[in-house]
Amino acid sequence: MSQARPFPAAPPAGASNAGQDAWFFCLRILGGRYAFEASLVTEVVRLGPLTRLPAAPSFLPGVFTHRGEVLPVLDIGQMVGQGAIAIRASTRAAVVHCGPWKVAVISDGLEGLVVIPRRNLEASPAESTGMAEFLSGVARDKNGTIAVLDLPRLVEAARSRAVPFGSGGT
Amino acid sequence: MTEPVSELLMFQVGARVFASTVRDVVRIGNVAAAGSDGLIEGTSLGPTFARERGIVVAAPEGGVESTLVVDQVLGVRSVPESEIQPLPAFAAAVIRSGAVSGLVLFDEAPTLIVDLPTLVRERLAAALASPSPA
Repeated sequence: MSQARPFPAAPPAGASNAGQDAWFFCLRILGGRYAFEASLVTEVVRLGPLTRLPAAPSFLPGVFTHRGEVLPVLDIGQMVGQGAIAIRASTRAAVVHCGPWKVAVISDGLEGLVVIPRRNLEASPAESTGMAEFLSGVARDKNGTIAVLDLPRLVEAARSRAVPFGSGGT
Repeated sequence: MTEPVSELLMFQVGARVFASTVRDVVRIGNVAAAGSDGLIEGTSLGPTFARERGIVVAAPEGGVESTLVVDQVLGVRSVPESEIQPLPAFAAAVIRSGAVSGLVLFDEAPTLIVDLPTLVRERLAAALASPSPA
């Protein structure tokens, strides 16, 4: 039987009408609409040529440079076992800060900021597989349903699930 | 005052170009002329195509030298040390190799700097862990 997870009560930083509206950054991944707290996003960039890293997990397709800074790319689809996001010349990435980690999240398309009245937020079913494991809620706007991701938890899970250097692997 | 520079050996494995510090390299050799003993192939850098060149890497503590098989040796570039960057923290935390010591940007493209002794050590350890069938 599914149980509901409570949606985070605190409004995101920078939210207007705090307590009434929640601001999210919305993107499309493998046919679904997903969003995460907008305050995590520092900028949206066009993906440059990727440099693949040896012995990298599938969710880290490579690194690229943006204004002289080297950024790691995070493929959320691969992280949750739903398949790789196609990388094209037009692919853009959302650069996010999640605690100590700075990563560029790729997607099939970026919608950008969406403002959701908090009354339209619902708790997500507590499932433990795939993307559902990292959902913190479900929202609805005029374009349909948005699954809200707990991105810091997802990034931390990616880090902890990777076999670290010295613990095995090649 | 002159900025410190690093001498980087540029080499190619498959379609990809890598760099390593010159001080890790004993000499450049011809793979065909070398015996099969001590040849290092199938590393995490990826598969080779032409297998034309070998980078001889010193063994730590007086051990046997190893020859890393590569496709081409492209030359040596001097790079100001200020232009060498560490791996991004997230990447460093998740890759299963310690053989990438940093990055340098050439024409805006990140080129990996490979710690050759570590690369060889990891390959030898992997071979010991999963020996190929006789």
